[in-house]
Formats: sequence, C-alpha cells, structure tokens
Amino acid sequence: MRAAEDIPMGTLQDLDPQAHMLLQFDVERFLYDEAAALDDRRFIEWLDLLTEDIHYWMPIRRTVNANELDQEFTQIGDMSYFDDDKEMLKHRVARLDTGYAWAELPPSRTRHLITNVRLVGMDGDEIDVESNFHLYRSRLDTEEDSWFGKRCDRLRRVDGQLKICRRHIFLDQTVLLSTNLSSLF
Amino acid sequence: MNKLERVPSQAAPDFASFVDYEQGLVDRRIFSDEAIYQTELERIFARAWNFMCHESQIKEPGDFFQNRIGDDRVVITRDKKGDVQVLLNSCRHRGNVICRAEQGRAKSFMCPYHGWNYGLDGKLVGVPGMKEFYRNDLNKDEWGLGKAAKVESYNGFVFATMDPDAPPLEEYLGDVGKVGLDIAARDGNIEVVNGVQKNRIGCNWKMAVDNLFDWYHPTVSHASAQRSGFFPQFEESLSHMDQMVMIGEYGHAIAGPLVKPENETTATPAQNRYGIQQLKAHPNIFPNLWITLQGDQLSLRLPNGPFETEIWWFTIFQKGIPEEERRLRLSMASHVFGPGGLLEQDDGENWAHSTRGTKGVASRRYPLHYAMGKGHDQMVGTPEGHMRAETVVNEHGQLWTYKSWAEWMDAESWADLKANHSPAPAGRI
Repeated sequence: MRAAEDIPMGTLQDLDPQAHMLLQFDVERFLYDEAAALDDRRFIEWLDLLTEDIHYWMPIRRTVNANELDQEFTQIGDMSYFDDDKEMLKHRVARLDTGYAWAELPPSRTRHLITNVRLVGMDGDEIDVESNFHLYRSRLDTEEDSWFGKRCDRLRRVDGQLKICRRHIFLDQTVLLSTNLSSLF
Repeated sequence: MNKLERVPSQAAPDFASFVDYEQGLVDRRIFSDEAIYQTELERIFARAWNFMCHESQIKEPGDFFQNRIGDDRVVITRDKKGDVQVLLNSCRHRGNVICRAEQGRAKSFMCPYHGWNYGLDGKLVGVPGMKEFYRNDLNKDEWGLGKAAKVESYNGFVFATMDPDAPPLEEYLGDVGKVGLDIAARDGNIEVVNGVQKNRIGCNWKMAVDNLFDWYHPTVSHASAQRSGFFPQFEESLSHMDQMVMIGEYGHAIAGPLVKPENETTATPAQNRYGIQQLKAHPNIFPNLWITLQGDQLSLRLPNGPFETEIWWFTIFQKGIPEEERRLRLSMASHVFGPGGLLEQDDGENWAHSTRGTKGVASRRYPLHYAMGKGHDQMVGTPEGHMRAETVVNEHGQLWTYKSWAEWMDAESWADLKANHSPAPAGRI
C-alpha cells in the first residue's frame, strides 16, 4: 500500500489511477478535518493549516446579463468581501477570543458541508482543489444563515503535511442575505 | 391622462410628537410602525435627493447601474446623447422589471414579459403587435418609462429626486451636505472601484444611519478590533480625539473626531500600515448616504421595510494612484467596513436587536435617549466660514437627524418643507 506522501510530485496527468485515488483521499481527509476544526471552534489549530503566504479572498458577485458573465465576479485588485493575508486571518481568529466579538457572542453554531471535491491541477508540491460548500450558521435562538458556493483552494505539501496556501471563495448570492460575514469559510 | 393624482399619505399623525428635541427623546414606534414606514417612502424617499451612483460607473453610452429610491427600483443609464437618465425599472404595460442585471451595458431594455422595448432614455421604442393587435391605437410617446423628476450631479456623484418641486441639488446639500462629497471627490479625478458590496441587515434604516454619528459605541462595540491586535490603539486614539459637529438644513450632519494639529501624530500601526494618518468625522447626507474613511467609501442604507435595510458600500479612489497604495487602501476598506469588516461585523446585530426592541408593546412605552451633550455645546463660526461645535462625544448628529425626520414627515410638500423646516442652529445646542 502506498502512502499519499509517497506520491511523486509533478502534474495530475503524471499520476496513475491508484496514485490519483490516494491523493484524492488524502485531500478529502484534509478538507474534512479542516472543516471539523472550524465547526469545533478550534480556530488556532485551523490557522496552523494555512501557510504563511496564504491569500484568503472572496470576490463580489453580481447579477449580470448572459453576454457579460465575464464581469460576474470582481477580480483581484477590485473590491471584495475578503482580501486577507495570514496576519489578517490571525486578527479574525484573535478577535473571537477577546470577549468583545459581538457578532459571535454567544458563539454561533456552524456546519461546513464540503462536497464535490475535485483535483483540478498539480504543479510540483502544490495541488489545486475545487470543492462545493454549504456553510450553515445557526445563531442565538432562531437566526440562520446559509452560504453556498465554491472554494478554489491551492494546497501545498509542507514537511509531508498538506496546508492551504490559497483559498478563493465564490459565493452564489449576489446581495448577501446575512447580517455579516463573521464566519470562516 | 397617464398620471394618477397624488395619493394622500396613509398615516398623517403629528410626527413632531415622536421627537422631543429639547429633551432629546425619540419615540420607539418610528422604527417599527408599518404605516410610518409607508409614509417615509412617500415623504422622505420619494421627495429627497437620493444617491444613485458615481458617473465613473456609467462612463459610456449604454452603461447602466441599478439602484432603488425607497421601494422603486430604478436604472441609471448613460443615454446615446451622453446624458444620465434615472428610469423606473417597471414596464408601463404590466409593471414587470425591464432590467434584471445589477449593472452592465445595453442598447435598450426589453421587458421579458411581452417585449415592450425601451431606449436608454426611457422612450418606448418597440411594441410587439403594434399593428396587428393594437391596431396602431397606442401612442408610444405617452408610454415611455417613468423617470426621476430631476437628475443632477455634484462632483460626479449622481443624485435623483422623484419630486419635481425639490430644490436644486446644491441648494439641498447646502454647505454641510457638500463637505463629504468634496472630501470624496478630492481633485475630481476619481472613480468607483469595481465592486459594490451589498448585504441585508434586519434593522430599520434609521438605526444604521443613527450609528454613523455615534462615537460613543466604538470602544464597546468595536473593542475586539483593538484587542485582536488589528487596531491596537483604537481606544486610545478615540479618547484623545476631540469631537466636532456640523449641522445643516434638511437633516444633513457631520459628527466625529476633530483632527487638530496637535493630534496628528497619533497614527496607529494599523493606520500606518494603510498609509492613513487620522480618522475624521462622518458626514451623512440626509436621508441615507454616509461618507467615510476620509472619503474613500460611501455607504448607502436602502430601506427594505421597517425591519430590513440593505447596506451598499461604494469604494472610491483617485485614478492612477500607485498600485501599492491602491492595494493597501482596498484591503483597509474590506477589513474595516462591509459585512466582513472587523469593525462593521459587530454592528449589525446591535442595530437589528435595537430595532426589535422597538416592537414590544411595553418596551415602546419607553422613549430612546438621545440627549448626550444636549444643551452643553455651542455652535461657533470657523475661519473657513462654517458653523460647528467643538466638544466631546455627543449625540447632536443623531438628534438633529430625528428632528429633521419629523419635519420631513409632517410636511405636505416640498413647499411646506422649505417654509417650515428648522434652520441650522446657531448658538447653544
């Protein structure tokens, strides 16, 4: 039995079917463990799953006509909902422990459902992974938020461990129907 | 005759009785009463100059951007002559929307129901079955889209009013209304960055507006921004800052930190990181346009029923600023405000639950307290010829907004409002 860490670096096309399956398994397990860290509120641990050079970004989506779908999302360098580096994500996590992060006090209950995980590219020790998500938030007595969308992640193998070095989040809503975006995607 | 006579207001109580300016008290019912909300749509939003967009968002003929005036959806277009049009997004035949996209470029707007087609200037240019079904018995000239009564720009910021009796935009803005737009316009060579953030909060629109003048809440509401290390000297920077208030006719006001020369050295690491040296006061253009981040952002608060507000964020930069500065200011904008902003994310629930707190039969017997500083401050002339109070944290801006709100609500018409609104106060406030 081969270990996922033993899979040779290269491109996806270089992988034989068994190696592809092992990598798929490894990536899915990583994403599910990551989701569990968020839902269990192990946010400091979650930060350790991110590389120091992570780019965490959520563009703005617009309702546009069919002939202008190239303008559906804003691009890097335009306005966005998130445009964070590791330092900013540390602030987001640190604020939850301040006792004053009112949007998350009492803490919300979240559920990250990660599906349709697809390996879409590999370059050396980096793997591009797309997945769909449903992030559900239940808050206070009766408040609910549901965010659906796609995450385009770039994972990097660092000392044998997968880490996220890019997370680009594409929501399906245009006008966000939530009071805020105080959850982590 | 295509126009209905103006329908009289459903609820016409004495709105002045809801705001006790002298004691600084506001009746909670103005935040949750459905009849009052309907009257606001008529007497405030359909009457006021409403912010539509910046001209940079509709540069070329055919460019359009959707917005709202109260419950009326409107499309702002640049027509073939290069003029800006504000059109009701509602077909004259069955009322359906003629434009479904938020923004884009179009040659015309065809109603997806029966195909009535309108030009960029709102003229009805095409009607399927004109000959066969209508037997040419339809005067297209009379069935163009409804339009704003007046459309004017100030520094490239496009405003529209649905009331033909509204005064010219510059007269409406007055000195106080112009300040924020002048700061935002800088040398005039500006553009709105691609991407308007939009989200909904379950609060009354006035609760959101009220908050922009509120320099009492940051040290509590936004304490996490300081304690997380994002803005480590937030509290200190606020407590060191003197405050100023400017008050204008028709409800415009500015409130917040007064940056004196001796305070200019108090830049925090976060401010240094973003290259912005000071915070400054917040202007609101009545009813619902807040200018912030020293003119880098505009926040529009669109009413969506008494219990919901849609918040839109426009980000404005000078054309051709260095790429590095652009990136820093962009990240500043998304890190501070908007639904993901470290400061603003903690605001929404406060506004929503404050609104909810105006519903209860027993709760609403207790008026809200807006008297901080009332009677303690003095409006004085500045060398630049403005009137302002230099003071500490206060609630003059909020109270003025509600006093003006009541005047708008009691006025039967623009003529009535012009004749009977309060002048900007001088002397003690």
